[in-house]
Amino acid sequence: MKINKFLPLIAACFLLAGCVEKEIIDDVNIETGIGYDLKEKEEFEGTIMVPIFKPDKNIGNFTYSATATSSRDLLQEIQRKSAQPIVTGSLEIAVFGEEMAKNGIIEVIDSFERDPSIGARVFLAVGQENAKDILTGTYGNRGNGIHLSDLIRHNMENKNLPETNLHLFLFDFYQKGNTPYLPILKKVEPEVIEIVGIALFSGDKMVDTVPPDKMFFFKLLTDKFSKGSFKVNIDSKHAAIKDLKSKHKIKLVKRDPYKILIEIEIEGVIREYTGEMLKPATIKKIEKNVEKQVNEEASKLIASFQEQGIDPLGLGHFVKSKTRGFDYNKWKDDYKNLIVQVKSDAVITEVGVVE
Amino acid sequence: MQQPVPERLQVSPFLVLYLIMSMQIGIGVLGYQRIIAKAAGYDAWISVLGAGLSIHIIIWMIYKICAVTNGDIVSANAYVFGKIIGNMISSFFVIYLVIFALAVLRTFIEVIQVWIFPEMSIFWFSAVFLLLSIYIVYGGFRTVTGIAFFGLVLPSYLLLTFGFALKFAEFRNLMPVLDHSAKELLSSAYNMSLTYIGFEIPIFFYPFIKDAPKSQKWAHLGVLLTTIIYTILAIITFSYFSEDQLAGSIWATLEMWKIVSMPFVERFEYIGIANWNLIVLPNICISLWGSSMILKRAFKLKQRKGVIIIALLCLVAITFFDDRAKINFLNDWTGKIGFMVTFIYIPFLFIATMITKKVKKNENK
Repeated sequence: MKINKFLPLIAACFLLAGCVEKEIIDDVNIETGIGYDLKEKEEFEGTIMVPIFKPDKNIGNFTYSATATSSRDLLQEIQRKSAQPIVTGSLEIAVFGEEMAKNGIIEVIDSFERDPSIGARVFLAVGQENAKDILTGTYGNRGNGIHLSDLIRHNMENKNLPETNLHLFLFDFYQKGNTPYLPILKKVEPEVIEIVGIALFSGDKMVDTVPPDKMFFFKLLTDKFSKGSFKVNIDSKHAAIKDLKSKHKIKLVKRDPYKILIEIEIEGVIREYTGEMLKPATIKKIEKNVEKQVNEEASKLIASFQEQGIDPLGLGHFVKSKTRGFDYNKWKDDYKNLIVQVKSDAVITEVGVVE
Repeated sequence: MQQPVPERLQVSPFLVLYLIMSMQIGIGVLGYQRIIAKAAGYDAWISVLGAGLSIHIIIWMIYKICAVTNGDIVSANAYVFGKIIGNMISSFFVIYLVIFALAVLRTFIEVIQVWIFPEMSIFWFSAVFLLLSIYIVYGGFRTVTGIAFFGLVLPSYLLLTFGFALKFAEFRNLMPVLDHSAKELLSSAYNMSLTYIGFEIPIFFYPFIKDAPKSQKWAHLGVLLTTIIYTILAIITFSYFSEDQLAGSIWATLEMWKIVSMPFVERFEYIGIANWNLIVLPNICISLWGSSMILKRAFKLKQRKGVIIIALLCLVAITFFDDRAKINFLNDWTGKIGFMVTFIYIPFLFIATMITKKVKKNENK
């Protein structure tokens, strides 16, 4: 029989199939969060967070910390403390301490990019003061990694946080005429983490922040489509607006000097109003005030970006896409003298169930 | 002249579409974006389209050559250069197909090693993979065609997964269109060689197609579809990555799977790469079949023996390519040789065939 010659080979196929590295889910530590804090000199302290699945279906948290000089080193150091191998396959969030962020983070992020098991949707964040504080503690009952990523996700989808993740950070970082930004987290109570603003980067170094009350305007400018909510004042009363959908359009009006017009369309509903009655005239007034406030705040933000030479809106890249043979070196000066006009159009569609 | 192939061994003309497409789509598509963007930046999608359209001329030439000589590459070479020199030239095509198979298999193994199993043995994986290919080739040309069909249709759902990248697409990246010179665009089109080659295979199996001249339109359609897929994929990639970000991505197509998120699967690459096995399989089978066929026709070596010799040759050669630099070198040269074969030798053969035909006609008079 001819088949007999093949039998050893066929047997080898099945036997050898087990010869590569296995990762059995019960026998590994799944890393869901990682934090970096700058120590003295070139060293940083890394904290790795792993969930512990308890028999009563609760999820506990455990963190390992170690000091190292590179991201690979760090994993080595921590592996020495962990009884089971640590795998990076379901990393949810990476937090950088403020000092670390100011010092540059691309080396660490490069190791994420290089690791094929880390997805592009991993959230990156800056921890106010300290990254370790944020990862140690117990938040919610689904494990810290899931809690923190849920916190960021829902704020991106429906609230004032602009969209960011590993891919978007890298996209902005590598795009000429564009600078990245990340959310800032802070531990406000032992069991509560809060988003306290947006960190603006120049290259891979954090240079400035956007405070929480300006985040809505920042998001209007950076995200193609955005949602969020904010408060508007009218005649000593105030109304809370929930922005259902808004989009922005950038137009190049003039060259030499460059002039850009940003048109923002906002469609929202009133959620709260401290006055007595909402008459059509009052609504008109609210719309006007929304527009005024958006125009003012957005212009202020852009002016401060120009002053610092950062470009989170990607205006440089926008002008490049409209110009043949674009020169980024010349743009550095042009950006400072760029005139940006913001024009917004707000429409209030609903006022809730009572007038 | 060649003995006509009995009808029970032939395949229907429309199956040429699957044969060509499954041969073209292999490993080049995993990372061509970075290579073409080097020269022409984000205008390179125009090169993809242009190069794809220029292939139609070669397809037309191939069908003309085969129709005149009434056979495959071996008959054509013998027709033009006589039997001895013709066979020597034909034997070069054996090497070409072996290198092609080698590049495909080695690159695919590299993908598995980088993304899933870093410790996987090159030798054993190739041995098992080649064993499967030999088994398929033993089934004859109709079986090979069947594998080409399944190797294209079953994994075609993967195209949909690139839709996940669209959410993060910034089409502004492509603007302004045509910001690069014609020279840069041509150089990009040349760099598409590795990704496009494979379309020349009708010259190896022409006698095995039922009513062969009728299959020409299917060959054109196949190439057109591949061109469209490559162009769309290039546009999605270019809008998803910023230019400097792409410059560092060896396998941009796979890297786009990093953004895929589904409730039931954390990392989609594992599914995608496992499926890529099916895409790679016809590449190897068709190459093995084609090269052993040339051996049979030119040197009267039994195809069953020829396949095993070639597979062993691949198995020995593959262990030499053990790092990124060597694999890159192999891919570069496969692209270059492919370009020479398809865009230089085939037009040359076409002209030579036409001249020979004229000369022979006059002699007969």
